[in-house]
Amino acid sequence: MPRVLTFKVNIETGKQGPNEPVNFSFNGHTMPFEKVIGSNEPDAIFEGSFDVNSFAHSLTLVGPEKGKWEIDKIRVDYECEGEKPYVVNWGAVTLDETTEVNLWQDPPVPAFDV
Amino acid sequence: MILFRISGIIIVSEFIELKSGDTPLNFIKRFFSGMKQEDEVSEPAKVATPVSTTASESVASEPSVSDIGNTEATAEEERFADAPPAPRTILHAPAAKQGLFPESSDGILIKAQPSPTGDQCMFTVNQVLMKDCSWYFDSFESAAESSLAESLFSLEDVETVLVCEATVTVTRKDKTLVDWKPLAKEIGAAIRNAVEEGQSLIADKIISTIPSEDVIREGIQKVIDEEVNPGVAGHGGQINLLAVKGNSVTIQMGGGCQGCSAADLTLKQGIHTSFRKAVPEVGAIFDETDHTAGLNPFFS
Repeated sequence: MPRVLTFKVNIETGKQGPNEPVNFSFNGHTMPFEKVIGSNEPDAIFEGSFDVNSFAHSLTLVGPEKGKWEIDKIRVDYECEGEKPYVVNWGAVTLDETTEVNLWQDPPVPAFDV
Repeated sequence: MILFRISGIIIVSEFIELKSGDTPLNFIKRFFSGMKQEDEVSEPAKVATPVSTTASESVASEPSVSDIGNTEATAEEERFADAPPAPRTILHAPAAKQGLFPESSDGILIKAQPSPTGDQCMFTVNQVLMKDCSWYFDSFESAAESSLAESLFSLEDVETVLVCEATVTVTRKDKTLVDWKPLAKEIGAAIRNAVEEGQSLIADKIISTIPSEDVIREGIQKVIDEEVNPGVAGHGGQINLLAVKGNSVTIQMGGGCQGCSAADLTLKQGIHTSFRKAVPEVGAIFDETDHTAGLNPFFS
Protein backbone atom coordinates (compact mmCIF):
# COMPACT_ATOMS: atom_id res chain seq x y z
CA MET A 1 0.00 0.00 0.00
CA PRO A 2 1.71 3.13 -1.19
CA ARG A 3 1.57 6.59 0.31
CA VAL A 4 -0.90 8.60 -1.74
CA LEU A 5 0.26 12.16 -2.21
CA THR A 6 -2.75 13.38 -4.12
CA PHE A 7 -5.54 12.06 -6.29
CA LYS A 8 -7.90 13.70 -8.73
CA VAL A 9 -11.24 12.41 -9.95
CA ASN A 10 -13.16 13.15 -13.11
CA ILE A 11 -16.69 11.78 -12.99
CA GLU A 12 -19.14 11.85 -15.85
CA THR A 13 -22.72 11.72 -14.61
CA GLY A 14 -25.37 10.05 -16.72
CA LYS A 15 -29.07 10.80 -16.89
CA GLN A 16 -29.60 10.92 -13.14
CA GLY A 17 -27.56 13.02 -10.74
CA PRO A 18 -28.29 14.27 -7.24
CA ASN A 19 -26.55 17.65 -7.59
CA GLU A 20 -25.23 17.59 -4.05
CA PRO A 21 -21.73 17.82 -2.55
CA VAL A 22 -19.55 14.89 -3.49
CA ASN A 23 -17.73 13.04 -0.73
CA PHE A 24 -15.10 10.38 -0.75
CA SER A 25 -14.01 8.01 1.98
CA PHE A 26 -10.29 7.50 2.56
CA ASN A 27 -9.44 4.71 5.00
CA GLY A 28 -12.98 4.99 6.36
CA HIS A 29 -12.91 8.77 6.83
CA THR A 30 -15.52 10.58 4.77
CA MET A 31 -14.47 13.97 3.43
CA PRO A 32 -15.49 16.41 0.71
CA PHE A 33 -13.32 17.01 -2.33
CA GLU A 34 -11.18 20.08 -2.71
CA LYS A 35 -10.63 22.17 -5.83
CA VAL A 36 -14.05 21.21 -7.12
CA ILE A 37 -15.04 22.02 -10.68
CA GLY A 38 -18.46 21.20 -12.11
CA SER A 39 -21.13 19.16 -10.39
CA ASN A 40 -22.89 15.83 -10.36
CA GLU A 41 -26.01 17.10 -12.07
CA PRO A 42 -27.35 14.96 -14.91
CA ASP A 43 -24.96 14.95 -17.87
CA ALA A 44 -22.46 17.09 -15.98
CA ILE A 45 -18.81 16.44 -15.24
CA PHE A 46 -17.47 16.67 -11.73
CA GLU A 47 -13.81 17.21 -10.99
CA GLY A 48 -12.26 17.24 -7.56
CA SER A 49 -9.01 16.41 -5.89
CA PHE A 50 -7.50 15.97 -2.47
CA ASP A 51 -3.94 16.11 -1.12
CA VAL A 52 -3.95 13.03 1.06
CA ASN A 53 -0.33 12.40 2.09
CA SER A 54 -1.24 9.14 3.75
CA PHE A 55 -1.09 5.43 3.11
CA ALA A 56 -4.06 4.08 1.24
CA HIS A 57 -5.96 1.16 2.65
CA SER A 58 -9.23 2.02 0.98
CA LEU A 59 -10.64 4.80 -1.15
CA THR A 60 -14.27 5.00 -2.18
CA LEU A 61 -16.65 7.48 -3.74
CA VAL A 62 -19.61 7.89 -1.41
CA GLY A 63 -23.09 7.72 -2.86
CA PRO A 64 -25.57 10.59 -2.50
CA GLU A 65 -27.56 11.08 0.70
CA LYS A 66 -30.77 11.05 -1.31
CA GLY A 67 -31.67 9.78 -4.73
CA LYS A 68 -29.58 7.96 -7.27
CA TRP A 69 -26.38 8.92 -9.00
CA GLU A 70 -25.87 7.31 -12.39
CA ILE A 71 -22.21 7.47 -13.21
CA ASP A 72 -21.06 6.80 -16.75
CA LYS A 73 -17.31 7.04 -16.29
CA ILE A 74 -14.82 7.59 -13.52
CA ARG A 75 -11.22 8.55 -14.10
CA VAL A 76 -8.79 8.80 -11.21
CA ASP A 77 -5.30 10.26 -11.48
CA TYR A 78 -3.06 9.12 -8.65
CA GLU A 79 0.25 10.47 -7.47
CA CYS A 80 1.89 8.15 -4.98
CA GLU A 81 5.22 8.40 -3.24
CA GLY A 82 7.96 6.58 -5.10
CA GLU A 83 5.69 5.69 -8.02
CA LYS A 84 5.09 7.16 -11.43
CA PRO A 85 1.73 8.97 -11.67
CA TYR A 86 -0.90 6.59 -13.01
CA VAL A 87 -4.49 6.69 -14.17
CA VAL A 88 -7.33 4.24 -13.64
CA ASN A 89 -10.61 4.35 -15.58
CA TRP A 90 -13.85 2.70 -14.52
CA GLY A 91 -17.11 2.22 -16.31
CA ALA A 92 -20.75 2.77 -15.37
CA VAL A 93 -22.07 2.36 -11.84
CA THR A 94 -25.13 3.65 -10.00
CA LEU A 95 -24.83 4.89 -6.44
CA ASP A 96 -27.44 5.67 -3.80
CA GLU A 97 -27.58 6.34 -0.07
CA THR A 98 -26.59 2.76 0.76
CA THR A 99 -23.64 2.37 -1.56
CA GLU A 100 -20.19 3.63 -2.38
CA VAL A 101 -17.86 2.62 -5.17
CA ASN A 102 -14.24 1.60 -4.91
CA LEU A 103 -11.79 4.13 -6.30
CA TRP A 104 -8.57 2.52 -5.16
CA GLN A 105 -6.25 0.55 -7.31
CA ASP A 106 -2.65 -0.18 -6.48
CA PRO A 107 -0.02 1.24 -8.78
CA PRO A 108 0.39 -1.00 -11.82
CA VAL A 109 3.03 -3.64 -11.61
CA PRO A 110 5.96 -2.47 -13.68
CA ALA A 111 5.99 -4.22 -17.02
CA PHE A 112 8.76 -4.35 -19.55
CA ASP A 113 9.18 -5.73 -23.06
CA VAL A 114 11.16 -8.90 -23.52
CA MET B 1 -7.13 70.29 81.80
CA ILE B 2 -4.76 67.90 80.15
CA LEU B 3 -3.85 66.43 83.46
CA PHE B 4 -7.54 66.10 84.28
CA ARG B 5 -8.13 64.29 81.02
CA ILE B 6 -5.12 62.07 81.54
CA SER B 7 -6.23 61.32 85.06
CA GLY B 8 -9.69 60.63 83.62
CA ILE B 9 -8.31 58.14 81.12
CA ILE B 10 -6.31 56.54 83.88
CA ILE B 11 -9.44 56.27 85.97
CA VAL B 12 -11.33 54.81 83.03
CA SER B 13 -8.42 52.56 82.29
CA GLU B 14 -8.31 51.48 85.88
CA PHE B 15 -12.04 50.75 85.60
CA ILE B 16 -11.60 48.78 82.40
CA GLU B 17 -8.64 46.98 83.92
CA LEU B 18 -10.79 46.06 86.80
CA LYS B 19 -13.60 44.96 84.54
CA SER B 20 -11.58 43.21 81.88
CA GLY B 21 -8.40 42.45 83.76
CA ASP B 22 -6.37 44.03 80.98
CA THR B 23 -4.16 47.09 80.74
CA PRO B 24 -5.30 50.01 78.61
CA LEU B 25 -2.34 49.57 76.31
CA ASN B 26 -3.17 45.98 75.83
CA PHE B 27 -6.80 46.93 75.45
CA ILE B 28 -5.90 49.42 72.74
CA LYS B 29 -3.63 46.85 71.09
CA ARG B 30 -6.36 44.27 71.41
CA PHE B 31 -8.89 46.78 70.12
CA PHE B 32 -6.88 47.57 66.98
CA SER B 33 -5.77 44.00 66.60
CA GLY B 34 -9.40 43.09 66.96
CA MET B 35 -10.24 45.47 64.16
CA LYS B 36 -7.45 43.89 62.13
CA GLN B 37 -8.71 40.45 63.00
CA GLU B 38 -12.15 41.47 61.92
CA ASP B 39 -10.63 42.77 58.71
CA GLU B 40 -8.72 39.53 58.34
CA VAL B 41 -11.91 37.64 58.91
CA SER B 42 -13.64 39.75 56.33
CA GLU B 43 -10.72 39.35 53.92
CA PRO B 44 -11.19 35.62 53.64
CA ALA B 45 -14.85 36.27 53.22
CA LYS B 46 -14.03 38.49 50.28
CA VAL B 47 -11.65 35.89 48.99
CA ALA B 48 -14.07 33.17 49.82
CA THR B 49 -16.76 34.74 47.76
CA PRO B 50 -15.16 34.03 44.42
CA VAL B 51 -14.07 30.66 45.72
CA SER B 52 -17.57 29.90 46.73
CA THR B 53 -18.70 31.31 43.37
CA THR B 54 -16.28 29.08 41.63
CA ALA B 55 -17.43 26.24 43.75
CA SER B 56 -21.02 27.05 43.05
CA GLU B 57 -20.18 27.28 39.36
CA SER B 58 -18.44 23.96 39.49
CA VAL B 59 -21.36 22.57 41.35
CA ALA B 60 -23.64 24.08 38.79
CA SER B 61 -21.60 22.55 35.98
CA GLU B 62 -21.82 19.16 37.57
CA PRO B 63 -25.17 17.47 37.44
CA SER B 64 -27.21 17.58 40.57
CA VAL B 65 -28.90 14.44 41.69
CA SER B 66 -32.14 15.57 40.14
CA ASP B 67 -30.37 16.45 36.87
CA ILE B 68 -28.47 13.21 36.44
CA GLY B 69 -31.22 11.54 34.51
CA ASN B 70 -31.58 14.46 32.13
CA THR B 71 -27.82 14.69 31.61
CA GLU B 72 -27.59 11.04 30.78
CA ALA B 73 -30.40 11.45 28.31
CA THR B 74 -28.60 14.39 26.71
CA ALA B 75 -25.35 12.45 26.52
CA GLU B 76 -27.24 9.55 25.02
CA GLU B 77 -28.75 11.83 22.41
CA GLU B 78 -25.35 13.33 21.61
CA ARG B 79 -23.85 9.88 21.32
CA PHE B 80 -26.50 8.81 18.90
CA ALA B 81 -26.22 12.09 17.04
CA ASP B 82 -22.48 11.45 16.53
CA ALA B 83 -22.92 7.77 15.80
CA PRO B 84 -21.50 6.81 12.41
CA PRO B 85 -24.03 6.12 9.70
CA ALA B 86 -24.82 2.58 8.73
CA PRO B 87 -22.03 1.04 6.65
CA ARG B 88 -22.55 1.24 2.94
CA THR B 89 -22.07 -1.51 0.43
CA ILE B 90 -18.91 -1.06 -1.60
CA LEU B 91 -19.50 -1.54 -5.30
CA HIS B 92 -16.87 -2.26 -7.89
CA ALA B 93 -17.34 -0.53 -11.20
CA PRO B 94 -15.99 -2.35 -14.23
CA ALA B 95 -12.43 -1.29 -14.83
CA ALA B 96 -11.73 -0.10 -18.33
CA LYS B 97 -9.04 -2.40 -19.67
CA GLN B 98 -6.09 -0.79 -21.24
CA GLY B 99 -4.38 -2.88 -23.84
CA LEU B 100 -0.80 -3.86 -23.19
CA PHE B 101 0.01 -3.87 -26.86
CA PRO B 102 -0.75 -1.59 -29.78
CA GLU B 103 -3.77 -2.81 -31.73
CA SER B 104 -1.93 -3.31 -35.00
CA SER B 105 1.26 -5.24 -34.50
CA ASP B 106 2.53 -7.99 -36.78
CA GLY B 107 5.33 -9.42 -34.69
CA ILE B 108 5.24 -11.40 -31.46
CA LEU B 109 5.17 -8.96 -28.58
CA ILE B 110 5.79 -10.07 -25.02
CA LYS B 111 5.44 -8.07 -21.80
CA ALA B 112 6.96 -9.25 -18.54
CA GLN B 113 5.29 -8.33 -15.23
CA PRO B 114 7.04 -9.52 -12.07
CA SER B 115 4.68 -10.16 -9.17
CA PRO B 116 4.82 -7.81 -6.17
CA THR B 117 6.22 -10.68 -4.11
CA GLY B 118 8.99 -11.17 -6.66
CA ASP B 119 8.77 -14.96 -6.83
CA GLN B 120 6.80 -15.07 -10.07
CA CYS B 121 6.76 -13.25 -13.36
CA MET B 122 3.87 -13.23 -15.80
CA PHE B 123 4.62 -12.99 -19.51
CA THR B 124 1.77 -11.76 -21.67
CA VAL B 125 1.97 -12.53 -25.36
CA ASN B 126 -0.05 -10.73 -28.02
CA GLN B 127 -1.55 -14.03 -29.15
CA VAL B 128 -3.29 -16.96 -27.51
CA LEU B 129 -1.04 -19.83 -26.47
CA MET B 130 -3.64 -22.16 -24.97
CA LYS B 131 -7.29 -21.57 -25.79
CA ASP B 132 -10.03 -21.90 -23.13
CA CYS B 133 -7.86 -23.86 -20.72
CA SER B 134 -4.61 -23.74 -18.82
CA TRP B 135 -1.92 -26.10 -17.65
CA TYR B 136 0.49 -26.16 -14.77
CA PHE B 137 3.91 -27.73 -15.33
CA ASP B 138 5.67 -28.50 -12.09
CA SER B 139 8.77 -30.20 -13.50
CA PHE B 140 10.80 -30.77 -16.63
CA GLU B 141 9.34 -34.28 -16.90
CA SER B 142 5.81 -32.91 -16.96
CA ALA B 143 6.78 -30.73 -19.93
CA ALA B 144 7.48 -33.64 -22.22
CA GLU B 145 6.19 -33.03 -25.78
CA SER B 146 5.11 -29.51 -24.88
CA SER B 147 7.64 -27.42 -26.79
CA LEU B 148 6.95 -24.20 -24.95
CA ALA B 149 7.34 -25.66 -21.48
CA GLU B 150 10.33 -27.76 -22.53
CA SER B 151 12.19 -24.71 -23.77
CA LEU B 152 11.41 -22.85 -20.56
CA PHE B 153 12.53 -25.68 -18.29
CA SER B 154 15.79 -25.79 -20.18
CA LEU B 155 16.59 -22.46 -18.53
CA GLU B 156 18.47 -22.86 -15.29
CA ASP B 157 16.35 -20.92 -12.82
CA VAL B 158 12.83 -21.94 -13.92
CA GLU B 159 10.94 -23.91 -11.27
CA THR B 160 7.34 -24.07 -12.51
CA VAL B 161 5.43 -22.90 -15.58
CA LEU B 162 1.75 -22.07 -15.85
CA VAL B 163 0.30 -21.50 -19.31
CA CYS B 164 -3.12 -19.86 -19.46
CA GLU B 165 -4.66 -18.32 -22.58
CA ALA B 166 -2.12 -15.69 -23.68
CA THR B 167 0.02 -15.73 -20.56
CA VAL B 168 2.91 -17.74 -19.20
CA THR B 169 3.63 -17.44 -15.49
CA VAL B 170 7.03 -18.61 -14.37
CA THR B 171 8.20 -19.26 -10.81
CA ARG B 172 11.92 -19.12 -10.28
CA LYS B 173 13.97 -21.45 -8.11
CA ASP B 174 16.08 -18.77 -6.49
CA LYS B 175 13.59 -16.80 -4.43
CA THR B 176 16.30 -14.44 -3.15
CA LEU B 177 16.72 -12.79 -6.55
CA VAL B 178 14.41 -9.84 -7.11
CA ASP B 179 15.60 -8.57 -10.48
CA TRP B 180 13.74 -10.52 -13.14
CA LYS B 181 15.16 -8.73 -16.16
CA PRO B 182 18.04 -11.10 -17.03
CA LEU B 183 15.90 -14.25 -16.70
CA ALA B 184 12.85 -12.55 -18.22
CA LYS B 185 14.78 -11.78 -21.40
CA GLU B 186 15.77 -15.42 -21.74
CA ILE B 187 12.19 -16.53 -21.09
CA GLY B 188 10.87 -13.99 -23.58
CA ALA B 189 13.26 -15.27 -26.22
CA ALA B 190 12.26 -18.88 -25.49
CA ILE B 191 8.55 -18.09 -25.77
CA ARG B 192 9.09 -16.19 -28.99
CA ASN B 193 11.11 -19.03 -30.53
CA ALA B 194 8.51 -21.61 -29.52
CA VAL B 195 5.68 -19.58 -31.01
CA GLU B 196 7.60 -18.83 -34.20
CA GLU B 197 8.49 -22.49 -34.74
CA GLY B 198 4.81 -23.22 -34.87
CA GLN B 199 5.13 -26.54 -33.06
CA SER B 200 2.55 -27.80 -30.62
CA LEU B 201 3.06 -25.58 -27.61
CA ILE B 202 1.15 -27.90 -25.31
CA ALA B 203 1.24 -31.66 -25.76
CA ASP B 204 -1.90 -33.18 -27.24
CA LYS B 205 -1.97 -35.79 -24.52
CA ILE B 206 -2.34 -32.99 -21.99
CA ILE B 207 -5.20 -31.35 -23.82
CA SER B 208 -6.98 -34.71 -24.09
CA THR B 209 -6.69 -35.42 -20.36
CA ILE B 210 -8.38 -32.21 -19.25
CA PRO B 211 -11.67 -33.25 -17.65
CA SER B 212 -14.97 -31.45 -17.92
CA GLU B 213 -15.77 -28.39 -15.84
CA ASP B 214 -18.21 -30.41 -13.73
CA VAL B 215 -15.52 -32.90 -12.77
CA ILE B 216 -13.12 -30.08 -11.89
CA ARG B 217 -15.82 -28.26 -9.90
CA GLU B 218 -16.78 -31.38 -7.98
CA GLY B 219 -13.20 -32.25 -7.13
CA ILE B 220 -12.26 -28.73 -6.06
CA GLN B 221 -15.44 -28.25 -4.02
CA LYS B 222 -14.74 -31.52 -2.24
CA VAL B 223 -11.21 -30.52 -1.29
CA ILE B 224 -12.47 -27.10 -0.15
CA ASP B 225 -15.13 -28.67 2.06
CA GLU B 226 -13.08 -31.50 3.48
CA GLU B 227 -9.58 -30.11 3.67
CA VAL B 228 -9.15 -26.41 3.04
CA ASN B 229 -12.06 -24.85 4.92
CA PRO B 230 -11.65 -26.97 8.07
CA GLY B 231 -8.03 -25.81 8.08
CA VAL B 232 -8.69 -22.07 7.70
CA ALA B 233 -11.77 -22.17 9.96
CA GLY B 234 -9.46 -22.07 12.95
CA HIS B 235 -8.54 -18.54 11.90
CA GLY B 236 -12.13 -17.58 11.16
CA GLY B 237 -11.56 -17.88 7.43
CA GLN B 238 -13.30 -19.61 4.59
CA ILE B 239 -12.67 -20.28 0.91
CA ASN B 240 -15.43 -20.18 -1.69
CA LEU B 241 -15.30 -21.59 -5.19
CA LEU B 242 -16.65 -18.84 -7.44
CA ALA B 243 -16.23 -20.22 -10.93
CA VAL B 244 -14.72 -22.93 -13.08
CA LYS B 245 -13.83 -22.15 -16.66
CA GLY B 246 -12.20 -24.97 -18.55
CA ASN B 247 -9.81 -26.31 -15.97
CA SER B 248 -9.15 -22.89 -14.42
CA VAL B 249 -10.79 -22.15 -11.11
CA THR B 250 -11.58 -18.89 -9.38
CA ILE B 251 -11.85 -18.73 -5.63
CA GLN B 252 -12.62 -16.05 -3.09
CA MET B 253 -11.22 -15.83 0.41
CA GLY B 254 -13.67 -14.73 3.09
CA GLY B 255 -13.94 -14.24 6.82
CA GLY B 256 -10.58 -13.87 8.52
CA CYS B 257 -8.74 -14.71 5.27
CA GLN B 258 -9.94 -11.53 3.59
CA GLY B 259 -7.25 -8.92 3.90
CA CYS B 260 -5.06 -11.18 6.02
CA SER B 261 -1.36 -10.52 5.62
CA ALA B 262 -0.78 -14.26 5.30
CA ALA B 263 -3.41 -14.70 2.58
CA ASP B 264 -0.83 -14.96 -0.21
CA LEU B 265 1.10 -17.61 1.71
CA THR B 266 -2.10 -19.52 2.48
CA LEU B 267 -3.10 -19.35 -1.17
CA LYS B 268 0.18 -20.48 -2.69
CA GLN B 269 1.42 -22.97 -0.15
CA GLY B 270 -1.85 -24.27 1.21
CA ILE B 271 -4.69 -23.96 -1.26
CA HIS B 272 -2.72 -24.43 -4.47
CA THR B 273 -0.99 -27.50 -3.12
CA SER B 274 -4.24 -29.05 -1.89
CA PHE B 275 -6.07 -28.32 -5.15
CA ARG B 276 -3.32 -29.73 -7.37
CA LYS B 277 -2.90 -32.81 -5.19
CA ALA B 278 -6.63 -33.56 -5.22
CA VAL B 279 -7.26 -32.57 -8.86
CA PRO B 280 -3.98 -32.79 -10.79
CA GLU B 281 -5.62 -31.52 -13.97
CA VAL B 282 -6.48 -28.15 -12.47
CA GLY B 283 -4.75 -25.31 -14.31
CA ALA B 284 -4.78 -21.69 -13.24
CA ILE B 285 -6.12 -20.77 -9.81
CA PHE B 286 -7.35 -17.21 -9.60
CA ASP B 287 -8.05 -15.39 -6.37
CA GLU B 288 -10.72 -12.73 -6.75
CA THR B 289 -10.65 -11.61 -3.15
CA ASP B 290 -10.68 -7.88 -2.65
CA HIS B 291 -8.53 -7.77 0.44
CA THR B 292 -9.35 -4.12 1.14
CA ALA B 293 -13.13 -4.31 0.82
CA GLY B 294 -15.79 -5.52 3.19
CA LEU B 295 -16.77 -4.47 6.66
CA ASN B 296 -13.84 -5.94 8.52
CA PRO B 297 -10.81 -6.37 6.31
CA PHE B 298 -7.46 -6.97 7.96
CA PHE B 299 -5.90 -3.82 6.52
CA SER B 300 -8.52 -1.41 7.86
